[in-house]
Amino acid sequence: MKKWTKLALRNILRNKRRSLVTLLAIGVGFAAITLFYGYVSRTFWGLRQSAVQGEGLGHLTIYKDGWLEKGKLDPERYMFSQEEIVKVTKLVESEHDVILATPQIQVSGLISNGIVSTIFIAQGVIPKDDRTIKGTWEAFRPIDGEPLSDKKTYGIEVAQDLARYLNLKPGKDGVVMASTLSGQMNAMDMEVLGVYDSGSDATNDKYLRFTFDFAQSLYDTKMAEKIVVLLDDWQKTEAMRRVLSKKLADAGIPCQIKTWNELSLFYSKVRGMFGMIFLFIFCIVLVIVIMSTVNTMGMAVLERTREIGTLRALGLKKRGVSLLFALEGGLLGLIGSLMGTVLHAAVWAIIRRFPPTYTPPGLSTPVPLTIDLVPQAVATLVICLILLSLAAAIIPARHAAKQNVVAALGHT
Amino acid sequence: MALIEMTGIKKDYHLGETVVHALRGVDLQIEGAEFIAVWGPSGSGKTTLLNLVGAVDEPTEGSLFVNGTDVRTLSDNRRSELRNKTIGFIFQGFNLVPVLSALENVMLPLQIKGASDREARKKALSRLGEVGLGEFIHHRPFKMSGGQQQRVAIARALANEPSLVIADEPTANLDSETARMIIDLMRELNEKDGITFLFSTHDQRLLDRVSRLVHLEDGLIVDGGTRS
Repeated sequence: MKKWTKLALRNILRNKRRSLVTLLAIGVGFAAITLFYGYVSRTFWGLRQSAVQGEGLGHLTIYKDGWLEKGKLDPERYMFSQEEIVKVTKLVESEHDVILATPQIQVSGLISNGIVSTIFIAQGVIPKDDRTIKGTWEAFRPIDGEPLSDKKTYGIEVAQDLARYLNLKPGKDGVVMASTLSGQMNAMDMEVLGVYDSGSDATNDKYLRFTFDFAQSLYDTKMAEKIVVLLDDWQKTEAMRRVLSKKLADAGIPCQIKTWNELSLFYSKVRGMFGMIFLFIFCIVLVIVIMSTVNTMGMAVLERTREIGTLRALGLKKRGVSLLFALEGGLLGLIGSLMGTVLHAAVWAIIRRFPPTYTPPGLSTPVPLTIDLVPQAVATLVICLILLSLAAAIIPARHAAKQNVVAALGHT
Repeated sequence: MALIEMTGIKKDYHLGETVVHALRGVDLQIEGAEFIAVWGPSGSGKTTLLNLVGAVDEPTEGSLFVNGTDVRTLSDNRRSELRNKTIGFIFQGFNLVPVLSALENVMLPLQIKGASDREARKKALSRLGEVGLGEFIHHRPFKMSGGQQQRVAIARALANEPSLVIADEPTANLDSETARMIIDLMRELNEKDGITFLFSTHDQRLLDRVSRLVHLEDGLIVDGGTRS
């Protein structure tokens, strides 16, 4: 095999210009796919961090069975009681891969600065647990002022656009109003501790963050709507969902567990969109690679017809001729992919050194364009393009093998 | 048993609507160690005859035995094996693989046969030595003269120690002096190793050296020839 590979390699170098054009087509196509894949990978990472840490969804959210369908109609029936909160939290936290399980409650109502009022949606969280969930995200989107604190339960955080509309700054007071679970109107004084950027234009004008106790008081309840679970690795999400579902069912607490990506609609939609774009680019590159290889190998067969006749006269079987040309196609794929890998690494290094910034749709602030280096994807694509080039070379290779020996020898 | 035994061989070609009768019923027997030339005017069927004997083409009618094997019953793969092991080819245009060195060109039939690199290299070096190209083993064809290239082609034809070497106009592209050297070399190999040489030629110097002359005209052997 070594000798035929050597011969195939020399044949590729025979017409350097034509081979170079084909190799560039494969290489540039390869780099386009891998760079886009790296960009998509980094974007998914960012969106995942945004959902898990930024939105505070954690990796899993546990609802009492029925909450998602009928919870708004009869909240008290489908919320976790104090006893259940303790029991579920204990059961979940006994799992080795769980960092924490924390109860949360979402409230909605009106916020007023004493002059004007507007609607809000607030998440009631335990500050210490919330800081654990946020992790490094806090440094990425720092709060103007102070974060939530157990020491000042009436202190709240306000999203930046809402704070601007109501002229609420850290240290200022106001009032929040909401219906309790029993339907009574309840109002509570609050103090703005901090102003934060939710990261999304859609939520920056209506989001608040309360302490869990403050949210419970506003709804006049001691119950929790959900229990958010943080894992040590996002890749364990699905497996942990299965484990916890069984465990909670066995304990007599039937629950519904949602993953972070199921709850983050934005993530799902962006993922679907990028999937389509990736498929589109991949198909274009696929066509370019196939056409370039077929063209190069077709020309090679035409130019080397007499040589094919000679090899056949010397005793090379049809299969041997096919193999030789298919090998040349495969080598084109291999060398093109290696050139593409070098190009990919060069562009990746330049972008890493001088990252351009852009503002993605829906986000409120610019983000740096970052591309992941994904060795598994690069290796998979190398194999994929080799096989593709090999397959593309099979048509001209079969044509070469089928030629009549006498006609091939007489070809000029 | 004759090395080649052709009986009633006919070969027709279709050129559009027209049928060309290249061979019209040829009977020919070639024994081992002969040095035979096929001659005749252009279009008389010389190359067709050589192609049939070399098992690169199939007759329309008649029987053809090479070394006792009925070529017409062989599959394409078996005919490839027959060519590789039994027949060597020398072409008018040398037909060396341009990306291979002289040594690699001569190793080619051995490697096709499945010989190890070491064995192929050893035999190829020996054959190149025999044709006087021991110093040029790493030269690519484009760096060699026509005579040197034809000698590489002869070494390649002999690499697998064939019983028969077929040469189509082997001296046509060579100058007189080189042609004479090539003829001497083929004759020497024929006499020394007992290899049968069958070639088509118009070259009188070559015709003067053959042991037997087959004269073809209009697809028929008009004179089977005798040993000169």
